[in-house]
Amino acid sequence: MTRYLSHRRQHRPLIDRLLDALVGDPLVARTHRFGHGDDGHDTDGDADDVLAQFREQARDLHERVVHDHGVFAVEFLGATGGGKTTLVERLLERAPDEERIGVVVGDVAGDDDASRFRSHGVAVANVTTGKECHLDPGLLEDAIDEFDLGSLDRLYVENVGNMVCPADFPLGAQARVLVVSTTEGDDVVRKHPLLFEACDAAVVNKVDIADAVGADVATMREDVAEVAPDMPVFETNARADEGVDALADFLAEVRTSGHHHAHAHHD
Amino acid sequence: MHELSVAEAILDRAREAADDYGASGVEALTVELGTATHVNPDQLRFCIETVAETRDLADAAVSIETVEPEAACDCGWEGEPPSFDGTAGAVPSARCPECGSQTEFTRGKECRLASIEVPDEAAGTAPET
Ligand SMILES: [Zn+2]
Repeated sequence: MTRYLSHRRQHRPLIDRLLDALVGDPLVARTHRFGHGDDGHDTDGDADDVLAQFREQARDLHERVVHDHGVFAVEFLGATGGGKTTLVERLLERAPDEERIGVVVGDVAGDDDASRFRSHGVAVANVTTGKECHLDPGLLEDAIDEFDLGSLDRLYVENVGNMVCPADFPLGAQARVLVVSTTEGDDVVRKHPLLFEACDAAVVNKVDIADAVGADVATMREDVAEVAPDMPVFETNARADEGVDALADFLAEVRTSGHHHAHAHHD
Repeated sequence: MHELSVAEAILDRAREAADDYGASGVEALTVELGTATHVNPDQLRFCIETVAETRDLADAAVSIETVEPEAACDCGWEGEPPSFDGTAGAVPSARCPECGSQTEFTRGKECRLASIEVPDEAAGTAPET
């Protein structure tokens, strides 16, 4: 199936082409203008839109992991040093013995985080992204091929520490949890509104040192409420395991209801 | 910086389209880039040109057209989304200015290969002036 418009000069008589040349119409001969999605509302599936292609891939992955294999998939994203790894460790500690968990860790280099997770006795796949600043659905798919999906109950994906790129690359998880910390400053929400909009829940970590670093958690909450009105916000001190229960409860709720539908996705 | 992977995908697509067309090369390509993405237009152009060098597409002239966002809400509102206050640059909000709910972007999230120009081989001699 081809979607290209046909070559507008292909079947035209020679005289027309000469006239075109004389009036200086396209010197560079042929132009393909690719077709737009018809209604402009659903451009996903548009083969010429590379971001839409990634979103489509994420949906396929969601279909396979969540629906075909019944795995509950949660993605964690946020800047390096914000506490994603510690937070996921706290969640692993809460898991019942019989629950089989896989963790995928995206890292630009090294596998320090992966070893931390391995010590919790879960299956771990480390994705060293190298030049890439984010996981994409293809990289995640390769990573989960290391697991026996059929025997997994839950999948945690820790994205590469980056507050920009992952927004354009959904991974098909049932919940995207954005972890920011007070050390990033209380204007972190305003600096990254599109990333907040792309996520389902926000964690403000390191609230214990908010005063010390001059961050006002209330301001962060207000900013989240403005950017993504329905987004739940959890205040945690992951290191001391404070505030994590509420996040765990939220995830349990998402799992029960199947998806997080509190707000519309724009992907 | 994910412009590199986006650039690679754009060029894959351009090559594929040129092949479908039976064209040996690509002389120009245009990308439509939504401003509600995190793809930086200057970096994208740089990455496309750099990757093109390695792919026998080095001569392709790259143009990037930015696409301003449009959004629609369940309440019936449609239009250009308002910008957040206090952000660096204009960042579109996905919050409905009428009813306050979350809207869907109908434009502005794209990064698509909009057109390519290929040499006029099939039509015989390309006119030169
Ligand atoms: Zn509305």
